[in-house]
Amino acid sequence: MARRSAGKGRLIAVEGTRGHELRDAAAELWQRYEVRDVPGGVSSWDASGIFSDLRVEKRKHLSLSPRTLVLLYAADLVFRLRWQIRPALDQDQVIIAAPYVDTAVAFGVAGGLPGPWLTKLFAFAPTPDACYRIKEREKASRTKAKPLDGYVEFCAAILADGAAPVGPSELRQRMAAYLEEEERKNRCPRLTKRVISSQPA
Amino acid sequence: MVRAREKKRGLLIAFEGPTGAGTSTQRRLFKVWLEQQGHEVVTSKWISSRAIRPLMKARARLHALSPEELCLLQAADFRHRLETQILPALWQGKTVVADRFLFTSLARASARGLDLDWLLFAHAPLFWPDLVFYFSVSSTTSTTRVAAAHAPKFYDAGQDVTNIADPIASYRRFVGRMIKEYESLSLIFQFVTVDGEQPIYEQHRRMRQLFEEKRRQPWGQWNLEAVVEWLAWSPAAAEVRRGASIGR
Repeated sequence: MARRSAGKGRLIAVEGTRGHELRDAAAELWQRYEVRDVPGGVSSWDASGIFSDLRVEKRKHLSLSPRTLVLLYAADLVFRLRWQIRPALDQDQVIIAAPYVDTAVAFGVAGGLPGPWLTKLFAFAPTPDACYRIKEREKASRTKAKPLDGYVEFCAAILADGAAPVGPSELRQRMAAYLEEEERKNRCPRLTKRVISSQPA
Repeated sequence: MVRAREKKRGLLIAFEGPTGAGTSTQRRLFKVWLEQQGHEVVTSKWISSRAIRPLMKARARLHALSPEELCLLQAADFRHRLETQILPALWQGKTVVADRFLFTSLARASARGLDLDWLLFAHAPLFWPDLVFYFSVSSTTSTTRVAAAHAPKFYDAGQDVTNIADPIASYRRFVGRMIKEYESLSLIFQFVTVDGEQPIYEQHRRMRQLFEEKRRQPWGQWNLEAVVEWLAWSPAAAEVRRGASIGR
């Protein structure tokens, strides 16, 4: 990954497979800083509008493969780095990126893409100071997820319409398995209440 | 399955070169000639994918793209065109003429200062055309032809990296860098160079000759990787996955 400038800014990655839960976890984590008047904020998926502009309601005609979806995520991440993440770090702020690189890598691996390709593709993204994965519920909430709820929901909807060999629930399971492996390697521990309350300000 | 299709597959012919090199004119002439020879021909143009093109157009109009974003969107356009236009046509035995395929993206992004090694990764797995015609012209010829037609658009003129307000002056500087990158790619990837300064019919005649001399070769490892991935995952290959051949 790209090197970080030696400022005091802090980049925290929060990763997971469910958009709503990611947003809630990032908001809860950010609150910990906000109450102490720490400057910064949260950088979310699709800040560039690439995915919303794809007109998901017409997704049957989009025919996007996992590789194209990862490339689009990378383009969106470049936008977030340019306009949200790097400026915050340059001003010594705390920025929570939810999701960041690992969610896209997990999706890519679940979609049959080679790990080295994914790692090299995201080499432009600076290494976060901390990376956490959210606790995933076994089943989704009763409210049906919409494609624009998050990156994984979007990709799952696209792939389901294209008769992909892996359905949405298997895709999620594969992603969760990748993120669990990262947790086992201590690269991306689980974001618990304890972790949140222990965040330095 | 892929090996079995090898003998029936169509050919991919790429036309590469800077703006004003004559790629589109030659592509049109060549397409007509191929059709007269009995080929069923499909044309694929650069940045024409139905999904990605509108995204790029909207952002280019606002001059809002960094070189990395531009490159990644071009890589997405390349992948989408490959999966939805080019591979389905080749699979059905059609000949595809690509009016700028992959190397124009690489040359332009390299001219913008991006690392070629990363660019190749972003576009991987690469898909190798059966024949790449590179139309070589000087930067003066390219600029003169572009200026005679219309003022180049912001990114075509490289104004995002030259910071020159006049599009023609910016293009003059940018095309020099671009041609240098094309020449390097031409050496690395062994393009067939056509002198784009020659009369139009001379170029066309030479291309026919080169095409007729070209021996059909089996797909290389990169192409096989791309085809296998397309067959396994692309929504555009869903019908092939279901065991039916597309459109036939």
